[in-house]
Amino acid sequence: MTRLGFRLTLRSGREAFLRLVITALAVALGVAVLLSVFAEFHAFQVTSKRPSWESTVGASSHSGATSHEELWNYSESVYQGRFMEILRVAALGAHAPILPGISNLPPAGEVYASPALAHLLRTVPADQLGARFPGRLSGEIGQAALSNPEELVAFVGETPAQMSALPGTVTVDRIAARPQSQGTTNIYRIAFGLGAIAVLFPLLVLISTATRLSTARREQRYAAIRLVGGTPRQVGAIASVDAVISAFLGTLLGIGLFLIVRPLVADVALSGVRFFGNDVTPTIWGYVGMILVVPAAAAISSLVSLRRVQISPLGVARRTTPPAPRAWRVIPLLVGIPVFLIPVLRHAKHPQQISGGPLFLGLLLIMVGLVVGGPWLTKLGAHALAAWSRGSASLLASRRLEDDPKRAFRAVSGLVLAVFVATAVAIIAPAVNAAQSPTSANSLTNVLRQQFGASIPPGAAAGLTRQLQAVPGADVIPLYANPAFQPVRPKLSSGGPSDQSGAPPAGKAAGNAAGNAAYDSVISCAGLRSLPTLGTCPRGAAGAYINSFNLFTDNPIFVYRALPLVRGSSPTAALDPSRLSVDGLLLRANDAASLERARTILTRFEATIPSGPKDGGQLVAWQMGSLTPETFGEVAQIRNNDDSNVERVVFALLVLTLLVAGCSLAVAVGGSLVERKRPFTLLRVSGTPESSLRRVVIMEAALPLLGAAVIAALVGALVARPFIEALATPRVHVPYPGPIYFLTMGAGLLACFAVVSATLPLLSRITRPESVRFE
Amino acid sequence: MSSTNLAPRHESVPLIAGRDIVKSFGETPALRGVSVSIGPGEIVAIMAPSGSGKSTLLHCLAGIFPPDSGQVWFDGRQIDSLDETQRTKLRRTTFGFVFQFGQLVPELTAADNIALPLLLDRTNHREAYRRATSWLQRLGLGALGGHRTGELSGGEAQRVALARALVTRPAVLFADEPTGSLDSLMGEQVMEFLVDLTRQEGTTVVVVTHDARVAAYADRAVMVRDGRTTTPAPAQAVRQ
Repeated sequence: MTRLGFRLTLRSGREAFLRLVITALAVALGVAVLLSVFAEFHAFQVTSKRPSWESTVGASSHSGATSHEELWNYSESVYQGRFMEILRVAALGAHAPILPGISNLPPAGEVYASPALAHLLRTVPADQLGARFPGRLSGEIGQAALSNPEELVAFVGETPAQMSALPGTVTVDRIAARPQSQGTTNIYRIAFGLGAIAVLFPLLVLISTATRLSTARREQRYAAIRLVGGTPRQVGAIASVDAVISAFLGTLLGIGLFLIVRPLVADVALSGVRFFGNDVTPTIWGYVGMILVVPAAAAISSLVSLRRVQISPLGVARRTTPPAPRAWRVIPLLVGIPVFLIPVLRHAKHPQQISGGPLFLGLLLIMVGLVVGGPWLTKLGAHALAAWSRGSASLLASRRLEDDPKRAFRAVSGLVLAVFVATAVAIIAPAVNAAQSPTSANSLTNVLRQQFGASIPPGAAAGLTRQLQAVPGADVIPLYANPAFQPVRPKLSSGGPSDQSGAPPAGKAAGNAAGNAAYDSVISCAGLRSLPTLGTCPRGAAGAYINSFNLFTDNPIFVYRALPLVRGSSPTAALDPSRLSVDGLLLRANDAASLERARTILTRFEATIPSGPKDGGQLVAWQMGSLTPETFGEVAQIRNNDDSNVERVVFALLVLTLLVAGCSLAVAVGGSLVERKRPFTLLRVSGTPESSLRRVVIMEAALPLLGAAVIAALVGALVARPFIEALATPRVHVPYPGPIYFLTMGAGLLACFAVVSATLPLLSRITRPESVRFE
Repeated sequence: MSSTNLAPRHESVPLIAGRDIVKSFGETPALRGVSVSIGPGEIVAIMAPSGSGKSTLLHCLAGIFPPDSGQVWFDGRQIDSLDETQRTKLRRTTFGFVFQFGQLVPELTAADNIALPLLLDRTNHREAYRRATSWLQRLGLGALGGHRTGELSGGEAQRVALARALVTRPAVLFADEPTGSLDSLMGEQVMEFLVDLTRQEGTTVVVVTHDARVAAYADRAVMVRDGRTTTPAPAQAVRQ
């Protein structure tokens, strides 16, 4: 039977060969996309499991040097918004542990840099970057120490004496080999997993649709086999061979296609950064799994589809209209929306009271409802179109959809969830970003902020200020320490600074009756004039008391809420820079080069300020670093990156699922054309223009595609907008989805139609009036 | 031309005519120089055994595909030289077709199928369905307008196909083995409808068949064998 199956599949004429080619191509596309997703996931897994040298624990003092130890001084810096890790290191003996990615520790006076940093060091003037860690670039750091090819890392060789003089230096005897534990890793992993499933579903639909191509034609063949005495089991074997051959060929083709596009896949920065190219692989197990699983799944799918038709020795059971989907299918959707929205709307003013349970249940019901209710909604849409349609093409298309809405919806079912999630994210992510970066405070975007690890004496501060003022285009505003300030242990709250008005927090003011002791800093009114966003001093004042801690939080929303820091009613201060030490400063630069020059000066200065744990304490390396000078824009960008990455991943998935849905539709349309070859040919013979038949084909694809996309998008917006409006603070305007969303959606849908249009030549070919002779 | 002339009044002014038609499919000749002339309102049967070229002759006369050589004339116009778009329009507006089976769109109802050619020709929707319903009633199918083709018997489906072919009031109806998939009783019923309705409408009919009982409904018969017309078979004789 297997031999007969092979013969029937491979040598049954042009139509069978065409079907084999279409099926193999569709499977190939699905396999290539699946391998790409697996490869990206593998790269993400490898990256997140990379041994983290930054997690090395060091001791801030040691009793005596041993040959197994080395000195570490870790700091972080920023260059044009890109984060940079700098590790100064000095071996204390011949057996000092070696960092990953290098074969030996850099000798004193030499720098090993990651490839991306090495490139910058060669091309950027030293006063903007290289001067932050003086030394000769003599080696490159390998992949083992890096998490992505763009990462900026420097290992700087120093002498033990130099290292001992640096504040924050620790002794290390063993370099951490475990992965860094980041809160976002698991979130990304779950998101990646969900994304893979979201893509997997439409791909399975594509492969399943492809392997069932031209079922009707094949059923005729199977009926003939039954007529000459073939058993159902034998028919099943032949059907399986047919499916397995096309799926196997498609899988091989798909692997080849993936290998061709792999460099492009490696260039995709799904999570904001590229992965190393050699990590972007589905591994040998991925390839083997594909070769085994896809043909097996195709055989099972073929057998299942065969069970749905009764092939008697007298032929295939007469075609009947499948039972129409019933209205109950939409119940989960109708229940899910209020389950999600009612708690959101009820607790709009106190979002912290919203319980997560009903929200997740509501979301689950909505997503299930969209998929389960899709066929019923398709039937409804087709029915309405049939009732309203006045043209022949819309009549033919709507009746076809109405005849079997499940079949029509199946091809686009995968994109429903993608569009729903993408729409929700397109509303939520910009709103979150907007909340953190109100446009009214854009003037702070390019302002550098620096809080020193310890107060800088007046003389040293004056020297630093002079250096910074010498940078062309830079305005410096020192934040002087208030000598009268009496700090007390603050009461920490989980959400950030408790006071958003610029007044001191309750903890700080406690113990002070009132007055200037409640403020930690004094700002120069002259300096303030160069940054009016921060406020305006009372008339005639030289300085004003402020609370500067609001300027140094990680969440920019608290910075912006504290503005203006100085008002006409703020307490004024006498300002004598020669007597006041400096706790921090703000610096506005006119251009990127000036900004980096100033940052280089600050980075070098900061490294000399005592900080870090007390003697005898232990600290993980990445916690040792000095405070990095960053602009407010960079601080906001770091927080927004996670949202942007999620948005980017979701949009990428959206395009992918739209494309896959387009392929499924194209395969389904191709199959339906072959099935309807006779009536379509005879219609054309009877004078129906080919253009009318083309319109039928396009409408049959467009209606479920656009219908499903619009309904999913509307439900996504219906869920996301009230949700974000309830959670957003009143000052934050909730934006509508941006142009990227509409461009992504539009481009995805256009790509979809382009794929579907690829079937039109088939329509033209198989319905030529000449072919009526063979009908 | 070789035929038995039962309707001499049509001889002088043929509505549709083929002259020396030659048609081959690859190396296989289907027609080797056939000439035929059919007058307005005439019902002509093209008879032949399977594989003799009778369907090919019908396809050439109907402008479905042009002959390799020879000419096809309709109402004083040479149609074999028209391009595909013009021939498509001619088929849609002037000719009607009934085939052996499978010509109805399975997802459409009987009424939809009959209204389809009118909708294709941009007839008003309401008017198209009014005429479709009228034809359903004329064919005794008034109760089946909302039924899909899968729910119709073979005879009912052929009657719907007949209605669809005649709803545009074509000048010529081409029928290719219209009863080939029906039993004799159903076949007779369909042919009676076909003849009665075309007579009422004044439609010329070209029917291809290998069945003498079908040919007996024609005014005359044209015999085709091995791609050529042969000695005529008198329709009257066939009838007897």
